[in-house]
Amino acid sequence: MIDPRSMTEPVTPPYAEGGALGRIGAEIWDHLWPWSRSGFQRQRAIQAAGLALALAATLVWVLAAMGELTPAAIIGWWFGWSAFEVIVRLGSKPYVKEGPWWGQRYRKASVMDMVCYVGFKNLLIGATLFIGLKSLGLLVI
Amino acid sequence: MKSLSTLRSLIAGTFLAVAGLLSPLPAAAQSAYEAPLPADINTNPDLCASLPCQEVLPGADSFSERMGKPSYVEAYRTDNGDKQLVGYVFLSTDIVDIPAYSGKPVITLIGMDTQGIITGTKILRHSEPILLLGIPESVLTKFVNQYLGKYVGDKIEIGKGRDEEGYIGLDAITGATVTVIAQNQVVMRSGVAIARQVGILKIEPKPAIRFSALDEKLGWDQLVKEGSVQRLTVKPEQLGMPRDDQPYVDMYFGYLNTPSVGKSVLGDGGYRNLMSRLGPDDHAIFIVSNGSDTFKGSGFVRGGIFDRVQVAQDMDAYTFRDLDYLNLWGLEAAGAPSYKESAIFIIRGQGFSAAYPWKLVFLANKLDRETGHRDFVSFDREYWVLDKYQEAGRPTVVKPDAPWVRVWKMRAVEIGLFTALLVAVAVVYASRDALTRRSTRKNKWPVNAFKYTFWVISIGFVGFGLLAQPSITQVLTWFHSLLFKWQWELFLTDPFIFLFWIFIILTTFVWGRGLFCGWMCPFGSLSELIYKVAGAIGLKRFQFALPMKWHNRLKWIKYGVFFVLLAVSVFSMGLAEKLAEVEPFKTTFLVGMFNRAWPYTLFVAVLLGLSIFIERPFCKYLCPLGASLAMPSTFRWFGLKRKQECSSCKACAVGCGSLAIDEHGRIDHRECMHCLDCMILYTDEHACPPLSQERKRRTKAGLPLTPIGKDGYYIPIKPVPAAAPRA
Repeated sequence: MIDPRSMTEPVTPPYAEGGALGRIGAEIWDHLWPWSRSGFQRQRAIQAAGLALALAATLVWVLAAMGELTPAAIIGWWFGWSAFEVIVRLGSKPYVKEGPWWGQRYRKASVMDMVCYVGFKNLLIGATLFIGLKSLGLLVI
Repeated sequence: MKSLSTLRSLIAGTFLAVAGLLSPLPAAAQSAYEAPLPADINTNPDLCASLPCQEVLPGADSFSERMGKPSYVEAYRTDNGDKQLVGYVFLSTDIVDIPAYSGKPVITLIGMDTQGIITGTKILRHSEPILLLGIPESVLTKFVNQYLGKYVGDKIEIGKGRDEEGYIGLDAITGATVTVIAQNQVVMRSGVAIARQVGILKIEPKPAIRFSALDEKLGWDQLVKEGSVQRLTVKPEQLGMPRDDQPYVDMYFGYLNTPSVGKSVLGDGGYRNLMSRLGPDDHAIFIVSNGSDTFKGSGFVRGGIFDRVQVAQDMDAYTFRDLDYLNLWGLEAAGAPSYKESAIFIIRGQGFSAAYPWKLVFLANKLDRETGHRDFVSFDREYWVLDKYQEAGRPTVVKPDAPWVRVWKMRAVEIGLFTALLVAVAVVYASRDALTRRSTRKNKWPVNAFKYTFWVISIGFVGFGLLAQPSITQVLTWFHSLLFKWQWELFLTDPFIFLFWIFIILTTFVWGRGLFCGWMCPFGSLSELIYKVAGAIGLKRFQFALPMKWHNRLKWIKYGVFFVLLAVSVFSMGLAEKLAEVEPFKTTFLVGMFNRAWPYTLFVAVLLGLSIFIERPFCKYLCPLGASLAMPSTFRWFGLKRKQECSSCKACAVGCGSLAIDEHGRIDHRECMHCLDCMILYTDEHACPPLSQERKRRTKAGLPLTPIGKDGYYIPIKPVPAAAPRA
């Protein structure tokens, strides 16, 4: 029977049963690392392309940090990477959190859920990275 | 990068062409928005060859070449073969570097007669987005025309004048307060600078510095640490050049008249020698510099003027000629760094007082890598002789408020009211459980009385009164600022929008976007109020909702609109602003429906007309702002409540005006407007089917009706064993 309290069916990620510290660590890792072993098995071509893209993205961040890229190019990369991450996550970590961020309720992610999650998360990561680089004096735009 | 740039230009060009074709406005040829200006506008000696100087100084028939520092041109009228000086014309960006709301200056040509009366002002170029489509540019022209006939020495401020204090007030532009405050500074500071230079305004002498008896020798590090030697560094990337480890200029500077500083830097002999060469009103500063370029510039070779550095104090700028220059032969302070270039400059004039703060200003041109255009920019560092070196310590200095601070002070009462309103909305919504329990399906007033009141306030006070309608353009600005350049000032300049966004961000994460969209958005409130009023006056039979199948398809349009705007903003913020006209907010609240070209008015009329028959058509299907808020609403902390029976019961779904409840009874919080109708049913024992059934069962069985718990069910009756009879 469908539970009307959740937009999609509840899901339990592998780390959900662990202790608080372990779970927080696993969640941080989850936010930063979109791949999973099971996902890799299912989406080999995509994941291989993803690793190449990850290397390219790293290069882009380095270039950006060196002031070699224009804002438009950086946002272009942000878009591209986010779109790719949505695909990867839907195959490897297809769940999002439901309710309070400090809670432990997870549910299966629809495409829109994943777009919202990845877009928002990457905006925060991008902002943190840029603010960090700027405060270290490594980036002047 | 070149191919990327070409691609970007191509896409931007295509969009611009399409937008231009679709635009009902006349060709933007006469607009000053991002108007192309001659590349040599800041350097061409013949300023008036390419600029309309005669427009700002009527009656003049010839003009000199640029002269002075900061530069201006003299305007002449020829009478019977005699050339008569009739005034001066100057370009604002030759004199001041004051950014407006867009972060870029409003480049203005100003004319002034020989008595110091402003004779004309012309906006040559601006980048103010609000003046692109929101407020007609003619309003800014009308604003600057208020300076005509005003004396440059007058105290002029935006808003109501204060006669008793001698302040003349200028009418502001509603919705562009920051732009006009910045423009007021531009016109007045430019006028004063030139008027002082040509002798119309006399420099008012300040009390001269009186040094304390302190006389000590300090090492370089101590001088830098205590602030007697300051540092001004300009990096190549700040001037649009490729990033380099070596700074463009890296200057140390200090005020040499201070005995301790002068003797530490020059040595006792050097200090005595320098002081003996200075007049009673002369002041000496030193500069040593490293870096890839020179702080001296090349102007002094040709014309004896050092055109890259100046000293500024209040409204006065002091520039240096070769006669004001002395060689600095070396730094005596222990631990002083090596340097590539050095100078001692003499500040001459009674207007300067080292007792008060002053700035060393480095002037440069910044290259825009995208357009190749060079903008005038300045970098400065403040210097103020320390307390301990002044006989009576530093004098009290009241610094003028930043533009955003002035805006907050000017509108303190409205800001207070608005803040109270936002807090009230949040408190009422946080108390929704109490309100919905007091309501029933037939009597929703305990909720609706608050909701309708907030709608009316948001339309009248927030929308039409404060013009505080949040817009997708602000989301785009947030997005770009988060990734590239966060400037609090940019957001603080509009206090209502700033406060509104704090409210929106907090409530979206706590409850979802519905509280803003459903209760506080001025346009959304107007739209739903029209729907409700239409229903109340007998048009209900014409009102309908789209079939769920079509709603579920059309609701994605708003996300598409949002992503298109976001993508376009990457290429051109100006174009994104233009395309953001898909929002009817500017037409409705900011400019007024009858002050715009008819297609905009028609668009709003259609949307509001549709609202008579469909609940919130714009919010559901088109609003990019709603889409941008819907996305984080996925992760709101607290959603609306549901019961397991909701999966088969359609009672709430049938009454959901937002069409946010699906066939399984699940609420899509991205679409929900928080009308709370479903929450009223949730605890209505006569309307919620599972509750109603239980009520009937208990009544039939003669069981008491216990209160309804948080889970939406009657609190269960638990039989308690009867107490054993007392012995």
